[in-house]
Amino acid sequence: MIEYILRGLLNGAVYALLALPMSLLFSTAGTIDFAVGGYALLAAAVASTVSGPLGLAAGLAAGVAASAIMALVFALLKRAGEAGIRIALASFGLSVALSSFVLLVWGTQPFVRSTYSTFLEVFGLRVSPQGLINLVIALVLVGGVQLLLLRTGLGRMLRAAAASPLAAELAGIAVLPLQCATVLAGGLLSGVAGLLIVYSSGLDFTASLSLTFIGFAAAIVFGIKSPIRSLLGGFAIGIIEALSAGYTSGLVTAMVPAVCILVFLIAAQLLAPNYTGDRP
Amino acid sequence: MHAAIKRTIGIRRGAGLYQAIASAVLAMGTLALALPAQADTVKVGVLLSFSGPAAVFGLPERDAILALQKEVAATPINGHTLQLVFFDDKTNPTEATRGATQLISDDGVVAIIGPGTGGGILAAGPIAERLKVPLLAPAGTVAITDKANSFAPWIFRVAINDQVGVKTLLGGAVKNGAKRVGVFYQEDAYGKFGNDYAQKLAGELGFEVVESVSAPYTATDLTADATKLRNANVDTVFMQVSISSLGASFLKAAQQVGLKAQIYANSGLSQKSFIDAAGPLGDGVHVLSIGNLPYDPTPPEQKLAAILEKNGEHPQGWGEVVGSNGLMAVVAALKKINGPVTGENMRATLETLCGFDTLSMGRACFSKDLHDGWLDDALVVTTIHDGKFRSH
Repeated sequence: MIEYILRGLLNGAVYALLALPMSLLFSTAGTIDFAVGGYALLAAAVASTVSGPLGLAAGLAAGVAASAIMALVFALLKRAGEAGIRIALASFGLSVALSSFVLLVWGTQPFVRSTYSTFLEVFGLRVSPQGLINLVIALVLVGGVQLLLLRTGLGRMLRAAAASPLAAELAGIAVLPLQCATVLAGGLLSGVAGLLIVYSSGLDFTASLSLTFIGFAAAIVFGIKSPIRSLLGGFAIGIIEALSAGYTSGLVTAMVPAVCILVFLIAAQLLAPNYTGDRP
Repeated sequence: MHAAIKRTIGIRRGAGLYQAIASAVLAMGTLALALPAQADTVKVGVLLSFSGPAAVFGLPERDAILALQKEVAATPINGHTLQLVFFDDKTNPTEATRGATQLISDDGVVAIIGPGTGGGILAAGPIAERLKVPLLAPAGTVAITDKANSFAPWIFRVAINDQVGVKTLLGGAVKNGAKRVGVFYQEDAYGKFGNDYAQKLAGELGFEVVESVSAPYTATDLTADATKLRNANVDTVFMQVSISSLGASFLKAAQQVGLKAQIYANSGLSQKSFIDAAGPLGDGVHVLSIGNLPYDPTPPEQKLAAILEKNGEHPQGWGEVVGSNGLMAVVAALKKINGPVTGENMRATLETLCGFDTLSMGRACFSKDLHDGWLDDALVVTTIHDGKFRSH
């Protein structure tokens, strides 16, 4: 069981990086960017094509460029007074468009880079150095975002925009540019996730929506409003997947994580305090 | 005098008119003799997956059909000019049904190469039966030619039945000493079929399926699955996977967790993209293939490879072979057909085709009782060495 938990933890680190942009944007703008999987896919495709460290930079730039499209759509819809649901639906459309673009340009080839051929022994288990790299990167990025939100002026402005966009505007905070910047940050973080997947297991043009859904699951399982919760959600999804693969029959393996998420969400609703009635 | 002049003019006018008519008739007759007899146009639909997960097969199938059309159908076949009409089923059975209906009702096709997947074929089968147009199906899904389906007479398989494939592959594994077999399969009908059939074959072929694991197409980590197989002490892993990235991911996971077993992969992974994705980890993996077009082509496959290269396409795997099977079957039917070219007549003619010209391994043969045109003589168990599929 320890082996499955460890492997799930390492895999969950990548899920956390997909969950983090969703959590950030929801906190800041009350909507979700469902194109994070598309950003990850595009970053992976570009990085696989351009060799060396330049490929990594190009991949990240591609992820950010794709999120810039979403930022523009976001800004236009916000200016038109549209609600968060339309923005979320637009992001779905972008995710599908990015998948189709990757298929058009790169075809059906998988995007995968060579992995390490030597392994580390961690508590008696063989672990790829790539898995540890993924974990460290996820911890650094999540920790960095958490620090940024809590300890910096920019973070204060983001939290103010999340708490009350109107009040923040009145206080002189440029809410819309901040929210657009959050979308761009999402492109960058998703791009990192895409690059880590290329070096871990690989992916192809079909991965966009499934990466989005897994990121969404990781974002919501413990509540969507905190980077730390996204990290924990990613770990939880990774561990549940690994335990499910290890201990259940192939017929139900894919179902178990989804059922667990449903249980968590229902439990959270049932256990949440409910205050009723007016103040005296 | 005036009347005489008038009469003369009238005669001359009349004569001129008759002359004009006679000249026109003469010219038309000459023209008719000079022009060759116009061939009638026969439309055939190509309903494959150009997008969605099955595009990995649909695109090479399409490329082969396009390249071959220029070679074998550039001139009329038995007085019929072949025109292909393309439709993307988007790896979606609903689109496949819509495509079949549109191709038959609007475009008037007399046969359809496709749909691209087993699910699409099963969905479009009733349409083919109702509108009386045969489907040449490039899929291994067993059920498509199951005689229990009322539409079975309208489906002609141009790939290899999955049962034949799995039996050939696992037979080869047993010959190489496989006793404790673990199955890794992708979570769809194709994967589940392979897992179930392997369990069924175990007793017959003399091995034991000790563990089965599965993963969705887009799984990002398979180390847990590989760990489960390692813990079951398998000596052989049977991979029923058609997605290159998933297959390569499993090999990486197997290496990482220390799973040491022979790996036998079904023909879904007989793609260059799998070799590219797997890299050095692919060495020694056995992969079933419908022919070996890119690496060790037989003489007919060499012709297909040459045609593809001429059209700027680089052979990838068996997708091109299966696509070419579909078009060659259509061409053979058009060469043999008697009477009007209708869907019903095409179907009846297809059932009489045996030993016709193809660009693939094996002897293609359809009959009233057998709509699986290619059998195990079209298969080869390859082994990956130095980045290539090598035939045994």
